[in-house]
Amino acid sequence: MHESGAVHAILGLPPTWIAVAILLLVYGVIMAEKFNRAVLSLLGAGLMVLCGVITQQQAIAGVDFNTIGLLTGMMVIVAISQKTGMFQYVAIKAAKSVKGSPWGVLVMLSVVTAVFSAFLDNVTTVLLIAPVTLLITDALNVRPYPFLFSQILASNIGGTATLIGDPPNIMIGSAARLSFYDFLVNLAPIIPVIFLVILGVIWFMFGRGLHASDAHKALVMQFDEHEAIEDVALLKKSLFVLFGVIGGFTVAHHVHLEPATIAMFGAALLLLLQTFGQSLHDKDHAYEAIMTEVEWTTIFFFVGLFIIVTGVEHTGVIEMLAHQTLALTGGDFNATVGAVLWVSAIASAVIDNIPFVATMIPLIQNMGPSFGGPDALEPLWWALALGACLGGNGSLIGASANLIVAGFSQRAGHPIAFMTFLKHAFGLMIISIVISHTYLYLRYLLS
Amino acid sequence: MHARDIMTTDVMVCHPEQTVAEIATILNEQSFRMLPVVDAGRRILGAVHTLSVLSSLVPGYIVEGYLKSIPYAPDIGLLRKHYKDLMQHQVADVMDRNPTIVHADESVLSVTAALITYDRFEYAMVADADERLVGVISSSDILRRLAHDPQEPADDA
Repeated sequence: MHESGAVHAILGLPPTWIAVAILLLVYGVIMAEKFNRAVLSLLGAGLMVLCGVITQQQAIAGVDFNTIGLLTGMMVIVAISQKTGMFQYVAIKAAKSVKGSPWGVLVMLSVVTAVFSAFLDNVTTVLLIAPVTLLITDALNVRPYPFLFSQILASNIGGTATLIGDPPNIMIGSAARLSFYDFLVNLAPIIPVIFLVILGVIWFMFGRGLHASDAHKALVMQFDEHEAIEDVALLKKSLFVLFGVIGGFTVAHHVHLEPATIAMFGAALLLLLQTFGQSLHDKDHAYEAIMTEVEWTTIFFFVGLFIIVTGVEHTGVIEMLAHQTLALTGGDFNATVGAVLWVSAIASAVIDNIPFVATMIPLIQNMGPSFGGPDALEPLWWALALGACLGGNGSLIGASANLIVAGFSQRAGHPIAFMTFLKHAFGLMIISIVISHTYLYLRYLLS
Repeated sequence: MHARDIMTTDVMVCHPEQTVAEIATILNEQSFRMLPVVDAGRRILGAVHTLSVLSSLVPGYIVEGYLKSIPYAPDIGLLRKHYKDLMQHQVADVMDRNPTIVHADESVLSVTAALITYDRFEYAMVADADERLVGVISSSDILRRLAHDPQEPADDA
């Protein structure tokens, strides 16, 4: 065994080639979408170890258990909370607050989507809000596309705002030791600006053409949000844990706790509270049911991905790429921030932003020495987060939430075509990146 | 006791190219809850149930979506709107393509097991060796038989 980890040749080939070949092969097949991405990433991870690029110990050490723990914990909390009907309650309440006016409904449901997406998983948010939206647009007798389109953008924009809003932020926060509070102070302020500008453009695109008769608006007012709440006791427990966990995140770095610890503790607490007082058999049954709702595919995808990236990083390829990037930008910090933002945005519109960010993290870390240590890198992390999360709005395949909404729309008899979405969304994505670039420049680079 | 001993043989059937409106009338007038769908040679193609017609009236985003129940939704005119459209469709569009099919020589125990395992609609089609429809068994047919013949006869009786 190579205790030093310095492998000189595998099957006569340099380990660098093997590692890069595995990475490109896995990413390529993931993009083809013919196989499950978790299976592919775990196969790639296995190959990294079997080919001897890294040892088993190095592979395990490469898995970021903060990301895994935070994701799993939040998934459990969401799986329990969504059973209470609170998403539907808030969506209906919001639609009624504007008296069923179509543009008002569009804005309110987008705000609800953005806020939920900032704190919970985007996919779960749209899974719960999109069907209610379709019910409401059916009641209003208006086409659902502008509403769903706006919600897709809102979920990705809202998700950018916090550490827990989107998986890329979770990964960045963990790798760069940036806290929930750091994200709140540095990313959250620009999100409402982007959101309002995008809504303004959507008004010009669709909003001014939306009309509904008074009779149809009256139907919306007949929705009874109180009927949406399915379990008041569970709702109280879920809200208690949700607010507790979010409160915990904001103070986590003061007490030297990782967000993963807080999320997992919250998940365990809610699992306990959920079935408090029931028989052991019922408790086990409820526990098993919640566990099947955790997206294990995503979790195992992350595990494999971390190992693949560790393998590639180990061969020094990423360090080399970092130097090449710096050579291209002439070692200029402003230019590097801009490059990271725009490349991340375009790449995330086309490919899954999770493997992209997983590869970019070590690349940016390797730039540390050139820019005067890890602390100086902070604007680069914000550029990566803004680019990777907002870039997801660029096309229908840019983020999982986009595809979920498209699926719902199809089942409602209003399929969203890839090109139609691209035509409407790509420009809006570019606008959001221009705003982000301006923000980064004014706040961090102007000196 | 075999399937052929308890099945109803006088069964009204329909064909895939008939309109939903036609079979809806039959279901209404005869108070049937199910009609087998067969081809010209009486081979089983599927079944239309009152429930399968109803489920075609509810939008897919409610049936397949995350809305497990919608007690908060008023009647927004969806059912009536879709009802008019649906009546013009063919039986083939609404039929259940995987009905429970049992064979005439299967034991009633096996028929019962098949019903409770696969079917949400309470009916099993009975087929001959060439998969042609020879009868229908409902869950109440089995219960009624058990009530009348408390001594379950042996299979060879």
